[in-house]
Amino acid sequence: MFDPDQPLTDHVTTGRFIVVFASEDTDAPELLGSCGVRDVADSRDFDGPLLESGGPPAGPAGSRSGPSVLGGAAGAGEGSGSVYFAELGIAVVDADPEQLGTLRTRSIEQRRPLSVSPELVHRVLTGPPGGRGRRAAETPPSVDFADTAELTWGLQAVQAVQSGYTGAGIRVAVLDTGFDSAHPDYAGRAVTVQSFIAGEDAQDGHGHGTHCIGSACGPRDPETGPGYGVASGAEIFAGKVLGNAGSGSDAGILAGIDWAVHNGCAVISMSLGADVAQVHPPYVAAGKRSLAKGSLIIAAAGNNANRRGGDPGFVGVPANSPFIMSVGALDSSLGVANFSARTLQGRGGQVDIAGPGVNVYSSWPMPKRYNTISGTSMATPHVSGVAALLAEATGLRGRELWAELVQEAQRLEAASVDVGSGLTLAPPPADPSVPDGSAPRSYQPL
Amino acid sequence: MDQHIIVTVDEDHAEDVEGVAARLRGLGMQVESVLGSLGMVSGSADDSCRPALEAVDGVASIDIQQDVQIAPPDSSVQ
Repeated sequence: MFDPDQPLTDHVTTGRFIVVFASEDTDAPELLGSCGVRDVADSRDFDGPLLESGGPPAGPAGSRSGPSVLGGAAGAGEGSGSVYFAELGIAVVDADPEQLGTLRTRSIEQRRPLSVSPELVHRVLTGPPGGRGRRAAETPPSVDFADTAELTWGLQAVQAVQSGYTGAGIRVAVLDTGFDSAHPDYAGRAVTVQSFIAGEDAQDGHGHGTHCIGSACGPRDPETGPGYGVASGAEIFAGKVLGNAGSGSDAGILAGIDWAVHNGCAVISMSLGADVAQVHPPYVAAGKRSLAKGSLIIAAAGNNANRRGGDPGFVGVPANSPFIMSVGALDSSLGVANFSARTLQGRGGQVDIAGPGVNVYSSWPMPKRYNTISGTSMATPHVSGVAALLAEATGLRGRELWAELVQEAQRLEAASVDVGSGLTLAPPPADPSVPDGSAPRSYQPL
Repeated sequence: MDQHIIVTVDEDHAEDVEGVAARLRGLGMQVESVLGSLGMVSGSADDSCRPALEAVDGVASIDIQQDVQIAPPDSSVQ
């Protein structure tokens, strides 16, 4: 892989360049030609693969003998010939710096985003590590996040603000103890409430629900205290499925899920569960059917561990459903929280991802207004908020949104049975100068 | 004994959850909610009704409801 942090001389390069065009850019060869890049073979002009061994296609680059029309891959400096792979929107070009400069200038003038990278030589991976061009695995620097006057440690850790996305246009359901509709931090916000508890309205008589809603969808810039909400622009659906005493049952929880799916909520956050190892079939069906309708259920792994006491716990219902994402809790050093449940062996029982879940500051019913508490219940809405940002940034829903969350997560030193794919991370900012809009986190223009 | 149950409707009857619920009612189930998006019916029924309910066309499975309980508001871990 091209590492922009390394000087180019560390790599074996061919002297040619890889140009990635935006997927909607339909006339890339013409642009290359206009910049003086000559004889660009177009994969659309050939029936077979351009790189087929021993059978170079006809055409300008095909006159070259050897195993490949792009024979330059055999060694640095031997590159010659250019080819455009139409299915990928990617070209390998034999161009000089002046031509590349012209290409860059024209791409900006014509608002056609593209990236240019040196073509690297790849070899079969053999031999012990430590050879040329390799680096030993690095231990990541230790971190210790802390709440500041501006942001909670959790918002800093998931990189919510840097993202630029707020979850605008995304509906997020939080199924919990309800919501304090009188909370001043939500004045002017779109909040839809519904109670599924007989004899109780949707007002939060516990606090847990208002706290979870805060981490997922609260403000980043409240009038007092630090910002604490990941998806501060999302539309909130607060379903009360746990009574003021903190208890609920399947009927109310499933009714809440049904309501959220019916209302088109892309994300359903459930900081609730029972310490039951046996997978409960209704949540298998509910998770699967919700995903199929574009709603991703994200649930707390559970707080039944006592790691310091030697008990790692297990993921309970409903997070152990194979179609419900299970969230573990991290402390501010990105270590596993003492109470955070470990993967339950068996299909669906894994911890899938992790989020900030120790000493989490968020909203609480008035007059207390704020509270700082811990739990996988607090980690879950951080992931749900990130899911809303990803849903906004990518347009993905359901299973694809699940995959995106897992892919974007920051891998940790902690065991995967405890943190899954690691710390959930907000999407990087949109970059109109990069093909397909989203640059890798380490991306630097050449 | 009366049990709180969740009836999961099979995929073939996803568009007729109400119809399945009506058949369940006719066999003694007290239907509480019909969940059209998920294809489920919640309610209660006596244990003795269970075999008849499970035999209803469109029923995939019947499960006894479980409860969840979160920690009290003053708990540091929730």
